[in-house]
Amino acid sequence: MSEFALGTIKNRTQMIRFFDGYSEERVEELDERKLKRPLVKTHLLEVLNGQCSSLSEALPSIFKRCGIEIKALDDELFLVSDLNIGEIGFLEQLTSRIIALYSTNKSDVLYPWVRNLVFRNSDLDHVWLSGLTFGVLWELVVKLSRPHRFTRLVFTHQSIFDIDNITIEDVDEDEEPIQQLDDDNLGEIVERRATRFSLVDRVGVIQSKLNGLQQIYSPLYAISQLRFPSPIGRGGHDFYDNGRVTNRSESFRDHRSHILFVVRIYQQLLNETENKTWYSITESIGIPGQFHRIVGAPVVINFEQPLEKGVFDRWISATFERKRNRFRLWGHPIRLGPTKVHVYGVDRHLWLPIFLELTAKGCTAIIPKQTCGNTVHRLVTNIQRYLDPGAQAFIGNKSYSEIVKDSAQGVKYELDRE
Amino acid sequence: MNSIENDPTRDPLFQLNMILWLAQPLPINASIKPLLYNKGFMVHAISPLLTVPPDVRIAAQEAQVVLQDVVCPDVVLSNEINRKYSIFECKASSFSPSSSTAKQARSLFVVSGSRAAEVLGLVSDQVSESLLIFGTRESERNRFEPSLNSLFSEIQAKRLPAGQFSILGFLFAGTDISVNTDNKGAMFFGIQAGINKLAEHEPDTDPRPLYFIPYDPDIDQSALERAFCKRILFERIHSTIISAVGRANPPFRFTLDSRSMLMDATFGMYGLWQKKESLKHMRWLCREFMQALSQAINAVFPDIIIYVPEQGWTISIRDQNEYEKALDAFASFSCETLDLSTVPQPTLFDEL
Repeated sequence: MSEFALGTIKNRTQMIRFFDGYSEERVEELDERKLKRPLVKTHLLEVLNGQCSSLSEALPSIFKRCGIEIKALDDELFLVSDLNIGEIGFLEQLTSRIIALYSTNKSDVLYPWVRNLVFRNSDLDHVWLSGLTFGVLWELVVKLSRPHRFTRLVFTHQSIFDIDNITIEDVDEDEEPIQQLDDDNLGEIVERRATRFSLVDRVGVIQSKLNGLQQIYSPLYAISQLRFPSPIGRGGHDFYDNGRVTNRSESFRDHRSHILFVVRIYQQLLNETENKTWYSITESIGIPGQFHRIVGAPVVINFEQPLEKGVFDRWISATFERKRNRFRLWGHPIRLGPTKVHVYGVDRHLWLPIFLELTAKGCTAIIPKQTCGNTVHRLVTNIQRYLDPGAQAFIGNKSYSEIVKDSAQGVKYELDRE
Repeated sequence: MNSIENDPTRDPLFQLNMILWLAQPLPINASIKPLLYNKGFMVHAISPLLTVPPDVRIAAQEAQVVLQDVVCPDVVLSNEINRKYSIFECKASSFSPSSSTAKQARSLFVVSGSRAAEVLGLVSDQVSESLLIFGTRESERNRFEPSLNSLFSEIQAKRLPAGQFSILGFLFAGTDISVNTDNKGAMFFGIQAGINKLAEHEPDTDPRPLYFIPYDPDIDQSALERAFCKRILFERIHSTIISAVGRANPPFRFTLDSRSMLMDATFGMYGLWQKKESLKHMRWLCREFMQALSQAINAVFPDIIIYVPEQGWTISIRDQNEYEKALDAFASFSCETLDLSTVPQPTLFDEL
């Protein structure tokens, strides 16, 4: 529950002023290593029916299903209250499909709340920033920041299917990755059964070393967290792979500008993914009603190293024999060999079809029309995190990273946009 | 190893799905080499209904050449830059010149020839070259060639327009799936003549790719091949139902009819099939699956799925608690337990 009466805020300008002042105080406390109140956190969520024109009208009913009230304040801005725990924060519609929840709640309250919200609502999903997407965002950090600025990257690869004595329950999606809970905690990070690297250095130093290091050690491709240094002061904005963004700068306006920048790239990425991948049989152009053709492009993910049979088997069983699996997939695998299965299944979160060929060497996915592009980005994110950090992804014959780069082309970075 | 024989190259549905994969955009190191896409060929039309021009039909009647007025090849690939069109027909085995398949083949020769542009609804300068391709198992080539040469000569002798033909022979040897291409096919597609490797698999692994087209009631398949395709069709119908139930918000009540389920499960191919018997066959399959699913779900949650004559299967959920439990039951059901080898039989549900 928020310690401030957020209900007194009536519009976007007041909200931004409130968060600006709040952020400045927190940065001073961070400098003194005496954080008295939680940092401002943003959660980026994708709304599945966001393509319809009236997302703002649809949002109250989407949230109401989970016992959450959202009250319209301003154009596409809402106050969010949970009937059980009180005020949560503000919700802003950023694009036709992506919303941002801004909150000052403690992370140990907020993260489970958001996770539960998404879990219970098939209209909502996290924004999924894969290691490959972060790779492109890192190049933008280099362009936007002076070389002497400090930044922070976290690389996370949890080989959860690579452990001999693992039980299927161990890979339940309910288990929150440890780094998700450390935002307001100044203590040491406890590691368990995870390969996790946190790198803090100057942008120029990292830029000169990162490519070489990645080639030597592939988990460094699995970027799970990236800080955009703030151009107007110390600190920056920490983007996480599940769409969470923590404001460690003194300016909320700058925080929001960075969010808008990344969200515009992500929206383009979603559109591009869906334009390319959606498979359907459609009427041939020029001869409507007569001929039909198959359109679409498969998603292909090649592993850097083939999986061992035991890892492959644990991946398949932990994914398709468990209701709450990390990959959020449902299906009954058709076994075609020791390390090959076909699954004509469903994205269990969004409840939309996806057809998969899974082998020790990689994954091929057919995405039927209407299945959300987020499904692809979640799949790539999870494969990099849990199976192969050095995996390469393609949509059709074009590399996923190239598509992310294309999506970032022409997206403007606007400071102080209100 | 899985339950199906390892060499799928005889199966026309395998051949068709492989041809579709060969015309997909894929990265260089994908599990399938997109041989035809790399040469600029893409899917122009799937199962198009092609009509033999009226003057050719009259000429054929006068020359006592037995043709089908309308023919439906499996797929047409085109390279629109080079204005090349290839008309594919996939076959399990060869046929005699007196069979009904020969009648279909004569029509395919005619529509692939000098009149191809007109038949495909294009102006003549949009087609520079066309070729009829028969996909088959490579070991059938020696039986196929004499039959096709005989038909080609017959049509030419009667001064009817006959297109050139080529045989694309699929091979599965060791761990490789390949195609053997004759000179005509190789020149047309711009690939090397002889054997072109398409995919390599791990030992003891079925080489089938994901199927775009899961099922076709009108093709010659072995019982095991048919059962495999029935399993895929059922899995896809199941995923359609799981999607519909999963996305609904309780309380809800909606009806699924066999047409919409089959359209979803076949990427819309169901809507392209013309034969009434084929459509019935597909509806029987859908009914078979729905009966088994209804029985399993209703045993735990009575009357959640109710068949409504002339409408379909109504699924009703009263509240969140029932929704979560029923969704688990829908997801737990597996068509793997069904008898996939049986041929569906007509019942009262036929007209759904």
